[in-house]
Amino acid sequence: MRAFLYSCQIAFKNLVVERWINLLTILSISVGLLLFTSYLTITLNIDTVIKRWGTGFGMVVYLGDGLSMETEESIKELLKQDSDILELKYVSSDEALKELREVLGSRSSILDSMEANPLPSSFELKLKRETLTPIYIEKKAARIKEMTGVEDVQYGEKWLSSLNTISVVMRVIAVLLGAAIFIAIAFITYSTIKVLFYRRKDEIETLKLLGATRSFIKMPFLIEGLFIGGVSGVISALSLFGLYKFTVMKFVEFLPSIRGLLVSLPLEAYIAIPIAGALMSLTGSFFATGRIRY
Amino acid sequence: MIQFSNVSKFYDEQIVLKDISFNIEKGDLVYLTGPSGSGKTTLLKLVYRAEHPDDGQILVAGWDVAKLRQKTIPFLRRNVGIVFQDFRLLPNKTVFDNIAIALRIQGLDPRLINEKVNDALNDVGLKHKSHALSQHLSGGEQQRVVIGRAMVSKPTVLLADEPTGNLDVETADIVIKLFKEINARGTTVLIATHNRELFMTSGRRVIFLRDSAIEKDIIP
Repeated sequence: MRAFLYSCQIAFKNLVVERWINLLTILSISVGLLLFTSYLTITLNIDTVIKRWGTGFGMVVYLGDGLSMETEESIKELLKQDSDILELKYVSSDEALKELREVLGSRSSILDSMEANPLPSSFELKLKRETLTPIYIEKKAARIKEMTGVEDVQYGEKWLSSLNTISVVMRVIAVLLGAAIFIAIAFITYSTIKVLFYRRKDEIETLKLLGATRSFIKMPFLIEGLFIGGVSGVISALSLFGLYKFTVMKFVEFLPSIRGLLVSLPLEAYIAIPIAGALMSLTGSFFATGRIRY
Repeated sequence: MIQFSNVSKFYDEQIVLKDISFNIEKGDLVYLTGPSGSGKTTLLKLVYRAEHPDDGQILVAGWDVAKLRQKTIPFLRRNVGIVFQDFRLLPNKTVFDNIAIALRIQGLDPRLINEKVNDALNDVGLKHKSHALSQHLSGGEQQRVVIGRAMVSKPTVLLADEPTGNLDVETADIVIKLFKEINARGTTVLIATHNRELFMTSGRRVIFLRDSAIEKDIIP
């Protein structure tokens, strides 16, 4: 514990003595973290929009021709049991034809030439917004389509598929960007600590000869790295919050209807940013101090 | 306390120490001498494991030095005080901090460190300079700081490599007197020097090195 406190003392003294190189490192890491967290915020917002659109789609379950009342009732019962379905409306083929006539208006006379009603009976479903994702809706549609008596299910597949692809691509980019930022931050800290380690080479040699353990020698550098990463994380988190507030303010100015739609990263994420920065820098510092040999 | 048994050391193909054997008892003060390049510094380095012997066995305060694992070496060195030829003081640190570091390494209580460092400063006569930066001291004062640092942790063995090499006669006398005082407290002292005046009239044991081997071992 005493050695740790002494290491903290040495680390903070070195941070002050080498303030310019440390400041530059902190700024570089802050920018890196800010880029990544900004991207995460954009991804989160796009994801939220996708979710909102996806669940806004209605789903229409078309029934086969000539189904008995019992079969239609059993399908209705099965759909009612589904907790994801918020509303269920039965539309008979006659009602569908009536609706079509209303839509066609004065041109509805073209339907008079048809001998029989070509429209199938259907169920119009409204799904719960909160928990449903495009992938989930797709799977649900496929399950409903497998029911006996169901001819087809329509729900705006192309839209959902496109939105789903965007969502997946955004997530993949987030992972790749995260990995790249991790490596970059670790490397930046590695370079800085390596330089500081090299500058204190003679001192380290003396400490080794006096009987200092590896941990005693490495500890101040690790603390320095931890501090650099942590402070960078705090700066980045504060900048991100400021940037978010500024963006919301500007967007609302031009597009008042967007108020309340833009989302920020959760509080946990803001807390995680300094921790992540500290851990990334710690990794860099750990490798920079290398394996001390006596 | 320090026992060399058939120790040899090579640098690449060149032999630096050849079949060295001697035994220094606890509480002895021994001079190690010989011309430049005879292997004095290498021999000292072998004692505190800055060099690894290529052959033979070295026992220091009960430690089998050649067989020490990397992570155990610091604990051997805490038992061996070293007075380096080039001082090896920590730059930009005060006299107090330079001496205290030997104890901070061991994780001692700050109050105890304070007490022990002040005692050491009194012993080397530098109490009045405790807050001075080491680089602002004269050569003789720096040497005394190094001795203070080497003795503050009460090592069982004290090694000194040409401790009077850069000092005038008067300061050299003070330094040697310090070594004698440390030795009188029971610490085994081994001083490497090529200054004949230091040991000729000392009445102490002198080991002569020449051409990488022990030429003479005069035990009074």
